[in-house]
Amino acid sequence: MGTLDYIWMGIQAVFQGPELFSLFGLPISVTIVMILAGFLTGIAVGATPGLAGPIAMAIALPILISVFGYTPDALLPVMGFLIGVMKGATIGGAVPAILFNTPGTPDAFMTTLDGYPMTQRGKAKKALRVAHFASASGDTFSDIVLIVCAPFLALLVEAYLDLPEKTALLILSLSFIAAVIGGSPAKGLISTGLGLLAAYVGTGEDFYPRLSMGSPSLSQGFPIATAVLGVLIIGAVLKELEDLWRRKRDSGEIPAHKDEGDQRLHGADIRRLLPYVGRSALIGTAIGALPGIGSTLAATLGYTVGRARYAKKKRPGAPEFGKGASEGIAATEAANSSVSGANLIPVLSLGIPGNAAAVFLILAAESIGGFNPGPSVFRFTTDSVNPELVIAFGLFTAMMVANVLNWTIGGLFMRSMGVMIRVPKHILLPSVLLLTLTAIYVQETRMEAIWFAVGFGVLGYLMRTVAISPLPFVIAFILGGKLEESARQAFAATGGDPWFLFTNPGAALLMAVAFAVIVFSARKTKEVA
Amino acid sequence: MVRSSRSNLILGTLVLAFAAAVLALWIPLDTQTGLIEKVRRQVVIGDALAPTVAALFLVLGGGLLVFIERKAPNQPKPSMAGLTFIARLLAIVFVSLLVMRFAGPVAVWTTNAFQGGDLEYRLLRDTAPWKYLGFFLGGTLMISGMVSLAEGRVSRKAVLAAVFAVIVMIFIYDVPFDDLLLPPNGDV
Repeated sequence: MGTLDYIWMGIQAVFQGPELFSLFGLPISVTIVMILAGFLTGIAVGATPGLAGPIAMAIALPILISVFGYTPDALLPVMGFLIGVMKGATIGGAVPAILFNTPGTPDAFMTTLDGYPMTQRGKAKKALRVAHFASASGDTFSDIVLIVCAPFLALLVEAYLDLPEKTALLILSLSFIAAVIGGSPAKGLISTGLGLLAAYVGTGEDFYPRLSMGSPSLSQGFPIATAVLGVLIIGAVLKELEDLWRRKRDSGEIPAHKDEGDQRLHGADIRRLLPYVGRSALIGTAIGALPGIGSTLAATLGYTVGRARYAKKKRPGAPEFGKGASEGIAATEAANSSVSGANLIPVLSLGIPGNAAAVFLILAAESIGGFNPGPSVFRFTTDSVNPELVIAFGLFTAMMVANVLNWTIGGLFMRSMGVMIRVPKHILLPSVLLLTLTAIYVQETRMEAIWFAVGFGVLGYLMRTVAISPLPFVIAFILGGKLEESARQAFAATGGDPWFLFTNPGAALLMAVAFAVIVFSARKTKEVA
Repeated sequence: MVRSSRSNLILGTLVLAFAAAVLALWIPLDTQTGLIEKVRRQVVIGDALAPTVAALFLVLGGGLLVFIERKAPNQPKPSMAGLTFIARLLAIVFVSLLVMRFAGPVAVWTTNAFQGGDLEYRLLRDTAPWKYLGFFLGGTLMISGMVSLAEGRVSRKAVLAAVFAVIVMIFIYDVPFDDLLLPPNGDV
């Protein structure tokens, strides 16, 4: 088995998997259909203010698992759907931002700055075309970087990192995520600490499940779905409802703007936009490759760099940046879209999720079984087939299929989604809450799980209220078990050396970087204060 | 209400107090093995180490908040009005979940009382319409209650929207599948 064989098997797994139906005699695999379904769902969800990709993933996951079962054959259709949602939501978020000055997703906020003024000038369709072109370009570029880099990074990790270094790498990742998400290292560390603590309840190696307070309910630990969906989704719904109630949003008529003049995107437009798209795609990919740094920062940086270039290259008579320049939309959308593919680099190569979408991919993999994202996936065994590697290349294929869908039908579908702004948020959010609780119940089939999820939801709400990002909590909850297991193995392998993180040079270096990241971030925060 | 300039200080202090309680009480009293244990002449990591590391993250975060980020700009301002709103919202969720849990068994009990039968909800939990009773009533109450709270009034539109949403959910999670159980049918 060579590398090309594995790539080919991955492609075949997607295209020649279980057939759902045939079109003109051509078999259409269920994975392709699921990628398409996920992609269209993602666009619709992204275009609906108050919803986001992770909500759709949370609601869909138990249904998908029930449909496809707990067999390795389920991995590609289920994860293909999730990848489709991830990509669709990225472009969908630009729709309400451009048409109604309301970003569908937080990272589309910068898109409103130039997108909505273009709509006001009667150039809404052109603005949507620019957003789609930039988004699809950034996304595709990012995926190519992922496909090239993830296997190499995984091979490097496997070849050079021993157990102490792997433990130190997990600590570095957690420290980095704590330091960079949300802009406050202190709050990031609190979020991480709470996530780890929750992960350790009811677990351990002793007969007595630790920290369970003698309660049979706690002795099994918190199911991963309750913690992840509770903090991420229910917490967000509660906060959104509070904001909605606080604003008492006026239900006035949404102002209508008629399209005027040429709405097409010409070759000259594309040539003009490409430098902005290229720069932002590079920025977004570089940022996305680091776990935990969100697409909002990428969009802000891409926009800032684009504005600097525009100041030098602006044509006379063209609108100012921030007042309806299509370059502004291109710079923002290319940056935030190029984060999504690169964000999967740490997931697939190290098993460390970097964003909410990656968390759901790991959740799906853990629920179904047969695929453990991490460096061991990329073992190019020659004497026997490594099924995880085939799945990995299948996922890469699924991403490219989603990109093809994005380039072909994505723009058309995206432009038809303006109607989603009219979905009443105050009815939608309680429905999402019940949907999420139901999704958790059908997986766990015990009311305790619902109570846990509501409890985590309250925690997520409180964290948002005091500006603590919930993402480090979720990532720490997922990595907590892995961190402890890795430390136990490293401790045993070094003959019970309590200083194994500092006596091994590689581990010591990673620990020093982890320490430096926290100190540097804290000092920077103090300077700002 | 927490004043904006002091909210980080208060939060940091609360986190430090919680971390101290975890380190001094929860971990020692609720974990059977220590930080490091000797098992069959081998030194291994005990169950207390990982939660201790988690608590140290809290100590570090709380400490940074108190000593470094105490005067950070743009500190959040949690309001009592907002918290009261969420408390009401959670009360609706709580009551709705109780209705969801007990509506089916109570309906069976009432039917038995009036008709003199000996039906058991446990045996009916996969039979329509019994299996939908708790989810339908509890779900409708949850959604319509929350919508009414957000709107500031109870409206027929809210109830109709809730009924519609719950029926859609039944069609999503139950009707197409034999192996999925709607709440609370896995417990009763």
